[in-house]
Amino acid sequence: MGIFSKLFKGPEIDMEKSSANAKRMRALFDHVVEGGNNYRLIFGYTEDVSRFNYGFVHGSKTKIGNLIVGWNEAEETIVAVPTVPDLSGCGDPTYYRRADILKAYRNKYPTDAFVIYPDKRGYIAINAYDWLEDESLYVYVSQDEELAAFTDFFMNRFAKK
Amino acid sequence: MPWNELFWFLVLLTAVTLLGQLWFHFVEWLLAKAKRLLFRHSQPPAWHTLPGETEDDNGH
Repeated sequence: MGIFSKLFKGPEIDMEKSSANAKRMRALFDHVVEGGNNYRLIFGYTEDVSRFNYGFVHGSKTKIGNLIVGWNEAEETIVAVPTVPDLSGCGDPTYYRRADILKAYRNKYPTDAFVIYPDKRGYIAINAYDWLEDESLYVYVSQDEELAAFTDFFMNRFAKK
Repeated sequence: MPWNELFWFLVLLTAVTLLGQLWFHFVEWLLAKAKRLLFRHSQPPAWHTLPGETEDDNGH
């Protein structure tokens, strides 16, 4: 019974590691965003898929970009800060204010990403899950509550057609 | 299919896979070198680390 119960339980989340990463995400975000403590945070990522053809071999490549995504309900603003899986640093923030963006919606196919069009020229598609195990590609953090809150904010306050 | 033929067919598939991997990584290496040469004068993107950790030239 012991072996099978372990198998059916599924992977166990290291909550200590997750909390440490959540703290570090907060530290990085507050470091680069003014008034960062007014934002709630989740970890998200972008997927850029491109095709290649090198003659003898061809296929597709997926580039994963990690993001610290902050949102402020009162100001209806989302801020995306690029980072890396080990949270050793971050890039400059990009602000998406609801009043200034063209549209925002939650995708259905092929992924349920949160899509924001700041203008007609381009868009950002933010994927987010409650927990991702692969530390070489994603930040190791458990975020059930925060993700639910972000989804609620995005769908009911931020979405725009 | 006789075992002997099956064995050599698997060896062929393995060789094709390995050659494909080598070719892919070789072309990627060439492209990375070309990108470095073409864009060596452009400013790298800003990168910030936390105070107390190593900062690069673009950090606050």
